[in-house]
Amino acid sequence: MSEKQLASTLEASAHQKEWFSQLRRNVFERHQPYAIVQADMPFELFHVMGVPAVSNQWWAALISAKRLAPQCFDELRTRGFHEGLCHYCSLPLACTLAGNSVEAPWGGLPKPALISARLTCDCIQRVFEIWAHALGTEFIPVENPGATELPPRWWDLSRHNWSQLFEARRLDLTVNQFHVLIGALERISKRRFEIDELRCLMESVNRQEEYFDEARQWICAAPKTPVRMTEQITNVMAAQWLRGTDWAVEHAKRFRDEIRTRVDSGVAACPQEKLRLMWVGAGLWHDTDFYTSFESRYGAVFVWSMYLAFGPDGYIRYGLSDPLRALASRVVSMNEQLHNPPWANEWIVDQAEKHRIDGAVVLIPSGTPSAVSGTHFIEMALEKAHIPVMTLVADIVDSRNWDGQAMRDRMARFIEERLC
Amino acid sequence: MTATVTDPSARLISLYQSPMSDALEASATGVPLVGITSNTVPWELIAAAGMYPVMLRSDDRATPFANEFMEPQVFQTRIRSIFDQVVSGRWPLRAVIIPRTSEQEYKLFLYLREIVRQYPDKGLPPVYLYDLPHSQSEDSRAYGLKVTVDLKEQLEAISGTSMAPDDIAASIAESNAARAAVHSLLELRRETPRISGCLALSLIGPFWSVPRKEYSELAHAAVAQVRGLPELSSPRILVKGVSIDQLTLHSVLESFGTVVVSEDDWWGERSAGQDISTVGDPVAACFEKYYFDSPSPRTFPQAVADSWFEDRSREGIEGVVFYVPEDDYVSGWDYPRQKSFLDALGIPSLVIRDDPRQIKMPERSRIQEWIDRLPRRPRS
Repeated sequence: MSEKQLASTLEASAHQKEWFSQLRRNVFERHQPYAIVQADMPFELFHVMGVPAVSNQWWAALISAKRLAPQCFDELRTRGFHEGLCHYCSLPLACTLAGNSVEAPWGGLPKPALISARLTCDCIQRVFEIWAHALGTEFIPVENPGATELPPRWWDLSRHNWSQLFEARRLDLTVNQFHVLIGALERISKRRFEIDELRCLMESVNRQEEYFDEARQWICAAPKTPVRMTEQITNVMAAQWLRGTDWAVEHAKRFRDEIRTRVDSGVAACPQEKLRLMWVGAGLWHDTDFYTSFESRYGAVFVWSMYLAFGPDGYIRYGLSDPLRALASRVVSMNEQLHNPPWANEWIVDQAEKHRIDGAVVLIPSGTPSAVSGTHFIEMALEKAHIPVMTLVADIVDSRNWDGQAMRDRMARFIEERLC
Repeated sequence: MTATVTDPSARLISLYQSPMSDALEASATGVPLVGITSNTVPWELIAAAGMYPVMLRSDDRATPFANEFMEPQVFQTRIRSIFDQVVSGRWPLRAVIIPRTSEQEYKLFLYLREIVRQYPDKGLPPVYLYDLPHSQSEDSRAYGLKVTVDLKEQLEAISGTSMAPDDIAASIAESNAARAAVHSLLELRRETPRISGCLALSLIGPFWSVPRKEYSELAHAAVAQVRGLPELSSPRILVKGVSIDQLTLHSVLESFGTVVVSEDDWWGERSAGQDISTVGDPVAACFEKYYFDSPSPRTFPQAVADSWFEDRSREGIEGVVFYVPEDDYVSGWDYPRQKSFLDALGIPSLVIRDDPRQIKMPERSRIQEWIDRLPRRPRS
């Protein structure tokens, strides 16, 4: 594991661990409800209802980092599920099915009061129904209407013109589905949903993302990046899973301040930085050291991933007279914004240019075929913008077919042949 | 195009093998063609707008455009083939309408839309999404009705004509008549099958590619032709799993001495389904048909998605073959549950993962052994 350079990184990691311990205590000792949800769900609703929400993808990353994925997938196979099924979103399910044969991270997930997912790909409704059955809990699905209007430069429109950008019919359906979810949350939490509480939280989320926006601008403007991509992810995601809460807003501010201080002091994450790299796709959770492997030899530093950049561009919503609708607009198009043409390719090129990127690695998540989307369009758009691209086929969470040295060699050749 | 029918079965088989032939003849006379990609685009609305709805099917041609723009091992052969057909401009299509019936089709819509945007000089047809949801809830139902009304308006804009309720009602009547013809064919596959699965698929397939009036006439005539065929006593198979728009799997299974009598698939037994209601608002009736009575990998919850399969499994079959190709990443989630269901009924099942066109020797032996163990039916 590469060293942690920022105090805020250590604090983010510690806070996550403590948050999860507290969640376990609350569930086991006080019988309080909590939920497991997909990463693209409206966490804000859970926060205002006082129901902690564990992200399925965050938990998958933890299992993967502990190298437990192979054992978990063995369990799926013995139950008749074939190897070609998506790994990323099903790893926590596999861990549940494995039961005591796998020592789950941090003591494991207690039984949730509900699980919930947006019906994006065709697999997720299946994974969550099987999981709900295994956990003995209920599954609340949220329908995912498709986009038909996709105007250029969505990130210029999403903060103020979100109600037009994301199409009224899609927002109407999503809001209606949120009401169903709210009903379930009211039932399990025995609390009443208050729209003003959501509005306050949405304002806090805006503040949090504004801090991240400033942090991003410092990273763009600094001669050398003050923070590695991996530390960006730790800080940002710890806050995003709890977005709008006091801790998350304060943490975003601390992160911004620490970056600013480093830039003001001329501190670079990698003083020998010569090449700035971007990582397109989900993280390589079982081998995060990959990202720092090219610094000493080439001065090649991963500067950008979607995790920091998407906060300010994807989450900020101004005009909160109808906070539920604004929240719907935050989640309804994440898939198009991050993974599909034209929005993903346009945005990534814009980000590459703003971050002065020299080369990009586009991940094709082999073990999660439903998440493979738009990668050729992204690659072509980056190359057209004179940013060389290496595509990397790898499983996000399962290390069984990952040859770390071979991939590092391949990356080294890419740097030597196309970037140096 | 109503043709003089001397051998209706041969004509239907020919239309199955050349699914665009009739459409191209119509196009040559000035009828606008609208390409559709799945079973859930309302044929009746397109026809009522004076256009010719034609299902885009996979073929064996190379797919250079798909190779360039679509990731390997993510998109089914059918989707890759459709992408190539549209991007290459192979067919004179006025428009392409893609339903939200699978995630792959949604990506197909976004990818094609992007090609249209990036290459305006190619003159590609506009691509529309019919965002029909498949989860069963009041919200989804209301949304689905709204997008169906929107689709009607889009079709009016594409065709430059407006649809009166009577136009749609007439189209529904024509379509229901074709459904009746399909049901007559399906009767010949039930208890005592008289037509093979390959022949059945060939006779049913043109339901998707020719005007329903023509199909109805041909199919009824074909039924009269084949009704007298001798009973097939081979073990009766239901095919389940990934949708297939070719004869290859049926051909392999029947070459081993079975008869495929059913498919949980819109290319086979579930092509026609129930009639569209002729009572009330015809647009709403179309929506209800496609929302409630059309197979889709997105149907939710599982109990609803499984209900047809479970009912049909109890009705006179000796075995179930799950077709789960190597590039599947959806139906494999259903297989253990559905296999357990069959096990409880004592119905043997088999998974086939190889491409049916290229089944190798050990796999062939495995299939043969499984078929040999199936219970035999006494001749009636």
